[in-house]
Amino acid sequence: MRSVRGRITAAFADAGVNGSLHALDIDTGREVEVGADTLYSTASLHKLCLVTTLFREAEAGRVELTRRLELPAGDGRSPGGTGVAAMLDPVTMSLRDLASLTVAVSDNAAADALWDELGLDTVNATMVKLGLTRTVAIEPLRELYAGMREDAGPNGPAALVDPAVVGRLRALDPNRSNRGTPRDLTRLLAAIWRDEACGGEYGAGLRRVLGLQAWSHRLASGFPFDDVRVSGKTGTLPTMRHEAGVVEYPDGGRYAITVCTHSADTAAALPAADAVIGTVGRLAVDALRVR
Amino acid sequence: MDLLRHLRYFRTVAEEGHVGRAAERLRVAQPSLSQRIQRLERELGVRLFDRNSRGVALTPAGRVVLAEAAELLAAADRLGAAVAGLRGGVTGAIRAAVPPDLGGAAVAAILTGFPDRSPGGALELRELTTAGQLRELAAGTLDVGVLRHPCAVADLELGPMSYQPLGVLLAAGNALADSTEIGLADLTGCELVLFPREFAPALYDETLTACARHGCTPAAVHDVPAGDFARALVLSGAAVALLPATAPEPGTVWRPLAGTPLAWRTSTAWPRGADGPAVRAFTETAQDALRRHAGVLAERPGRPLFPRPASEFPL
Repeated sequence: MRSVRGRITAAFADAGVNGSLHALDIDTGREVEVGADTLYSTASLHKLCLVTTLFREAEAGRVELTRRLELPAGDGRSPGGTGVAAMLDPVTMSLRDLASLTVAVSDNAAADALWDELGLDTVNATMVKLGLTRTVAIEPLRELYAGMREDAGPNGPAALVDPAVVGRLRALDPNRSNRGTPRDLTRLLAAIWRDEACGGEYGAGLRRVLGLQAWSHRLASGFPFDDVRVSGKTGTLPTMRHEAGVVEYPDGGRYAITVCTHSADTAAALPAADAVIGTVGRLAVDALRVR
Repeated sequence: MDLLRHLRYFRTVAEEGHVGRAAERLRVAQPSLSQRIQRLERELGVRLFDRNSRGVALTPAGRVVLAEAAELLAAADRLGAAVAGLRGGVTGAIRAAVPPDLGGAAVAAILTGFPDRSPGGALELRELTTAGQLRELAAGTLDVGVLRHPCAVADLELGPMSYQPLGVLLAAGNALADSTEIGLADLTGCELVLFPREFAPALYDETLTACARHGCTPAAVHDVPAGDFARALVLSGAAVALLPATAPEPGTVWRPLAGTPLAWRTSTAWPRGADGPAVRAFTETAQDALRRHAGVLAERPGRPLFPRPASEFPL
């Protein structure tokens, strides 16, 4: 039988993507990896670093999770199609509820409110302290999208499916955008699940938030089992589909996985690229579960 | 006019050859009986009797009507008896079905056990797939069935649920046959024999999903109905079969799966509101047979449940 790496590579090819994967058995340290140190634009995966920092700062007493922020209506709010970003009127919400929306529906307005509250430097410093030296944020989401609008030019969002335009997007260049590697993000998840990022009620609160993600078309699609828990965070930009998450089996097995993909097809809807994240996640976890 | 009753009166008069004696036998007044015979003659448009001093005699037309009436009345008697049996329930005929793979001992126990619970009742038992049972229950050609779940049971009522653990039927020479129980993941790379998907599509999918969940990726799945060909595949060593506990044929062995990862849910089912005494007797018989002969569990093996936010319903 083919090696698991061979099967993962073949699955990426079948889905029409270049992909990387890092999967880690949180308790034994066993790994499966395919291009795990490739640098990717993290897109919304970086919200994982953001909410981790929030709970870690709260544990250190520098932030109050129940403190409420007012997000004004209109231009003061980051664009997006979900959560507070899609709302029309002012919203007041606690920091931890903003974190919930940030994960559950990848709410850009909620996330940027937290970026503003914590500061980029704090988030980056947290990653350094956790040993994730290749995971760096350079801008909040509103600047990322402003850059995309600028690069897309006068034809607006429609240009984002034009290969020539997609080729020049700074957002897709990991050297000029928020960035990280599959291995770094998997290590971050392992730290969260081992209570190393933050402990006690803060660790539990952070894991709860990561379990709220509503979308099941990527990593969770590979684990259609009622007794298996999947937590995670997606990241999406033109041609890019990512997810970083943790899969927990009732026998105690827990596996952190990051899958990053880059599609040749510039279509806005790429169901095969979404699904392959579940497929390769499952291949990796099945391999880690074989004793 | 109540034709059947008038024909019965006519028959009695013909048998007695005398209206007075017939009236006595029928316990009706003679004038009333005469009127009824005249009414029948008007209705049919023929004379049935010639009257004479000693009584009455059939006309040629009357002889024809008597012959035809005999058949009609016999059929009416059969109909009445059949309907009475159905109303009685317990003594009536019941059309029932069991799925393939229920196990010979359990089916035999249903066949022998039903008369004890329903003396005089007739059980017409067939083997029918779950999909076939659902079709026939809806069409009214089946009164009660033993169904494999999950399946669409919207217009049905269900008897108590049983959980029938699956094990592995394999050739005696297979290396796995040495273990007292087999891990589902150990079957990775094996060719599996499972019933054809159209027999019970949801159960087929549930079974293969559970295999995947427990680390079993078969090299191939043979959709083969239980029977000689399925046994031959196992006996030849080409494949292993997932089956409830079964008395294995020579050359094969059946082993349970470690941790009971697969248990087929089974219950009786009948059309909503149609649970007569015979249906209840069948349900009790089937429950008892499954418990004694099919190794069923009263409760589903427990497991945690983590509904996801995408399910859109909180639990």
